[in-house]
Amino acid sequence: MIEGLVTKLAETPWSIGLHESLYMYAITESTHVMSIMLFVGTIAMVDLRLLGVSYTKVPVSQMLSRMLPWTIAGFVLLVITGGMLFLAIPVRTYHSLWFRLKCLMILIAAINIAVFTFKVEADKAKWDLGRVPRNSKICALVSLSAWACVIVFGRLIAYNWFDCDSINSEVLAQITGCPLDPG
Amino acid sequence: MSLYHTAQSIEASALGQTIRESTWLFPAIESTHLLALALLGGSVLILSLSVLGIGLKTAPAELYKSAHRYMNGAVIMLLITGILLGVSEPVKLYGRQAFWVKMISLALALALTYLAFNPLIRRGASGIGMRSVTALTMAAWLMVAMSGRWIGFS
Repeated sequence: MIEGLVTKLAETPWSIGLHESLYMYAITESTHVMSIMLFVGTIAMVDLRLLGVSYTKVPVSQMLSRMLPWTIAGFVLLVITGGMLFLAIPVRTYHSLWFRLKCLMILIAAINIAVFTFKVEADKAKWDLGRVPRNSKICALVSLSAWACVIVFGRLIAYNWFDCDSINSEVLAQITGCPLDPG
Repeated sequence: MSLYHTAQSIEASALGQTIRESTWLFPAIESTHLLALALLGGSVLILSLSVLGIGLKTAPAELYKSAHRYMNGAVIMLLITGILLGVSEPVKLYGRQAFWVKMISLALALALTYLAFNPLIRRGASGIGMRSVTALTMAAWLMVAMSGRWIGFS
């Protein structure tokens, strides 16, 4: 079903226009990369605070509330430009091993944010300037690793090592949803 | 020897060849370059936003005690990985306008950061002058990132 949807998407004038434009694709991808500085950059600084290794004079509550608007701004930019990049090359991206791994990492990061928001930071008033509890450190480490993977896997989408026409193993065909070449 | 000839001999070097001929080396260096970019963005932003009054309320000079380590680490990582990427395809870069735009904005960004922005933050400077330096420094780094990605397209 998604396969059909993605194929339809590729035939829309929006997709063809983005794909064939001289500057729009490059502008979109450059904006996507610049927004990483805003999104992952602010997340990394907050995580370093939540690890208890840096910015220890800044209350945790202030670190979260004053940085979050910038993280969200970065997220909005990344989703818009990311959506446009997907729209420009839908079928290949949908089957990309790296794209699928990137989505998995985003999912892990999102679950981690939920755990932090609903469990870990609930009693943050107690450790606003004190010793950071262990589960906060674990959340920060998961966040740093997951977002780093998102950046790396995102960059690797550009490489064609595991494109459908070069897949020759059953497992990879399963993961990427590519038809296994009979020849 | 002209600059173009220098680019040719760098391209022929063992290091350049090794990176060029490996499947994984260039993407791995490129990914590290991007990770360091995120770290640089975070450390510059946490200071800049505080200076501009739209970030943390903690004094920038206090934040600097933590931020400068990440900033320096990111700059060193970016320079090392950037040089390695450049060594693998210097002839291509020589002919690309985006590369020269990036080098000029990089020189500007480094000068602004280390000769104006950082010293002023250490001194606890504020006011319209400090805000202007901050805005210029952020703009210069954005230009470096934008023209850097553009090298791949031009």
